Amino acid sequence: MMPRALLLRLAAAAAVAAPLGAQITPGAPKPADAYVIRNATIVPVTGPRITGGSVVLSKGRIAAVGASVDTPPGATVIDGTGMFVYPGLIDSGTRLGLTEIGSVPGGDDLVEVGPFNPHDVALTAVNPHSEHIAVSRYNGITSVLTAPTGGIIAGTASLIDLSGWTGDQMAVKRQAALVVNYPRIGGGRGGRGGRFGGEALDPAIAVTELHEYFARAKAYSDVKTKLAAGQPGTQRTDLAMEAMVPFVRGELPVVFDAETAAQIRGALGLADEFKLKPVIRGAAEAWRLADTLAARKVPVVVGPTYREPDASSAYDEIYANPGVLVKAGVQIAFQTTGASDVRDLPFQVGITEGFGLAPDDALRAVTINAARIWGVGDQLGSIETGKVANLFVSTGDPMDPRSHVKYLFIRGEQVPLVDRQTKFYEEFRARPKPPKP
Amino acid sequence: MTQTLARRAGTVLTGIALGVTPLAAQQGAGAAPADGWNGAGALSIPVPPAAKLVAITHATILTASHGTITDGTIVIRDGKIAAVGSGVPVPAGAQVIDATGKFVTPGIIDAHSHSSLQGINEMSSSVTSQVRIEDAFREDGLTLYRQLAGGVTAANVLHGSANTIGGQNLTVKMRFGLPVDSMKYDKAPPGIKFALGENVRQTNNPPQPGRPLRYPHTRMGVEELLRDSFTRAREYQQEWKAYDKAKAAWKHGQPEPIPPARDVQLDPLVEVLEGTRLVHAHSYRADEILMLLHVAKDFGFRIASLQHVLEGYKVADEIAAANTGASTFADEWAYKLEAWDAIAFNPSLMAERGVRVTVNSDSDERARRLYQDAAKAMHYGNTSEEEALKMITLNAAWQLGIDKYTGSIDVGKDADIAIFTAHPFSPQARVDMTLVDGRVFFDRRTAPTLEAVLQSLRHTRAAMGGGAE
Repeated sequence: MMPRALLLRLAAAAAVAAPLGAQITPGAPKPADAYVIRNATIVPVTGPRITGGSVVLSKGRIAAVGASVDTPPGATVIDGTGMFVYPGLIDSGTRLGLTEIGSVPGGDDLVEVGPFNPHDVALTAVNPHSEHIAVSRYNGITSVLTAPTGGIIAGTASLIDLSGWTGDQMAVKRQAALVVNYPRIGGGRGGRGGRFGGEALDPAIAVTELHEYFARAKAYSDVKTKLAAGQPGTQRTDLAMEAMVPFVRGELPVVFDAETAAQIRGALGLADEFKLKPVIRGAAEAWRLADTLAARKVPVVVGPTYREPDASSAYDEIYANPGVLVKAGVQIAFQTTGASDVRDLPFQVGITEGFGLAPDDALRAVTINAARIWGVGDQLGSIETGKVANLFVSTGDPMDPRSHVKYLFIRGEQVPLVDRQTKFYEEFRARPKPPKP
Repeated sequence: MTQTLARRAGTVLTGIALGVTPLAAQQGAGAAPADGWNGAGALSIPVPPAAKLVAITHATILTASHGTITDGTIVIRDGKIAAVGSGVPVPAGAQVIDATGKFVTPGIIDAHSHSSLQGINEMSSSVTSQVRIEDAFREDGLTLYRQLAGGVTAANVLHGSANTIGGQNLTVKMRFGLPVDSMKYDKAPPGIKFALGENVRQTNNPPQPGRPLRYPHTRMGVEELLRDSFTRAREYQQEWKAYDKAKAAWKHGQPEPIPPARDVQLDPLVEVLEGTRLVHAHSYRADEILMLLHVAKDFGFRIASLQHVLEGYKVADEIAAANTGASTFADEWAYKLEAWDAIAFNPSLMAERGVRVTVNSDSDERARRLYQDAAKAMHYGNTSEEEALKMITLNAAWQLGIDKYTGSIDVGKDADIAIFTAHPFSPQARVDMTLVDGRVFFDRRTAPTLEAVLQSLRHTRAAMGGGAE
């Protein structure tokens, strides 16, 4: 399909690195031992911008950041003049790897049968060779939370880097969060919060069942604790309950997909009752509870922002919500809920800046905030020495569609910005003019 | 012939309806829109009357036709642009809109919309050229206001894509709040929707149980149905030509020629053959795009725009050679098999090859942020700023046959204008004001924003003694 000349061009464009180390991305050149990006504006997110700065990447980590750094011998040098270095962007809610073509059900692993599937772990079904992964990288996205969507408890979300020959190589956290579709009583707003994966459950009953399910899981976990402490007794293994244990013990976050203020209040109440670590996601009406969410330090993942508000809501509700939350002191991140459209993450964030979200807060939301919410704030989300080298070099603000990502690194490896779409583009751009009929 | 057709078309207009009586019709067709009455009443959004003379001053003006003017002035007289430039004097008595620090663009024109419709597809047949989308249009759809808040001033409201030959379109100006007759853009030539591919084959609109499959069910069948329809239309056209000739030659005392039977389905297709009705054709794959261009060529008509045209980049030269526009998404893809080869570089690559490209919404949601979707053409494929702006303004006007009247900021054109708080392609962009024919139909200062809702909630709670959540 692809002309040979084009393949050679692509290969040449990609061949920056020396053949050393373990290659983690299909299609990527063999990684160099080290890279240094020179003379760029570094945007560390957790610290002030460094103009004329450099970043050293070595053995998958950020080895040095600053105005002047030592270049390791043999490092591949990238001239960052006039460009900016940002930490890789993180999408806090996707279906990436779990669906390929919307109308083709054979490629879809999103909805399991039954209302409660905590032991369905996304990573099991993530197709590491999904075309959408490379397409997402094109705009600077290096990690995503991905999860199934059906039922009341949809499953367990996995946090993955967008690079790797296998799911295991992509995994940042196989078990990152439990995904709960908090039932919506009274109908109204669409979105994830209202879907039950084909289960015709009345939302009020669904709320009751959800409470009962957590109560069962709590009891299971308590028995497990007592047995471990040496109390006599037995417990039959229940894989679904086993999957619930870290969540009811408050060790890992529970994501509540909830849009209305009523859903959010309900989710917070459930989190109180079982001492969970809640994250509210979707959250179209979170602005109504901004002070509460800030006071309780409950993180909120907003989005997708590419959707309409309810008919009864302000015309700009979806776009203005993130800014209101940040002003109230809520820690926010963003989600696209996408697969094919994860690449829109920076633009979905950007559209809210005109409606009150400050650019620095926008960037923080999709980098360090997301990393912290998913428990990897010490590894990802900023450009700091010792962190995993997920970052990219861009001609400007990634939320601005007029900018272009030029280089992208995941775990210190340069990943070429080549995908199904760039291949078609190059190929047909080179199509000779057809003869006049 | 044209006159005869116009007479016949007049009959068609009263003959076909989708069961909707537009409010304006109830109030009496042609009634002057009374200022003060507006469908936005439920939102309490004031739409002040148009000022006779308006001046937008100190603006950065992106004209879409002749570059960018800094510290520019636009003078609007009776709803038309009377002067544009830097150093243009503000006429005495003008209502001044100070746009210091702001960016002004032509009003956005959405080349593919189904907004505010009470029915989108007449599914009973694969040829429904007799159906008119204006019979299903509501002038008070909330989405129209929300689109004004996104800078949209006009839209091509289309029939759906279920049929090979769908219904007649409606070009509207977003005069939200006025009766429906005032929203129809009377300068726009009539148009019609065609569709190819999966939707027509009903692979994405599956027939209901107990209902037989509808012809066509393959792309070959789609071509056959097009050729059959236009063969019938051509013969019908010939019958009328022969009749008109015979009627003109007829003298009293001779047997009077009998007119051919009216065919309301073929009337619009004859207009297509005569070039007076524009074809907007839903299409995805390169093969079906070429098929349609061949059919149109064989019957001697032009396709005004290919809609979606996601594989247009593969046959951009052929589209350009046919003088056909391309109206596509910024970056939608992979939602069905025929969207699998779609690329976000499509607008740029087609434009590079000389195609007049628009970025459309096809959605109430996307219509509110077309300014950002246009900017994506700069992101994917390095389209220039002005070319990207044309994709949501001047090129759309050209595709709809209204580029003489709107689509750019030029003297003599309708004052359809969007004013942004920042460069429309920057993340900080937000629409401040939208003018249609020089009248302010959206003004952020009086709009029911979330901030306004929050303030009102705070006041209420304070009055009730606190209790903030």
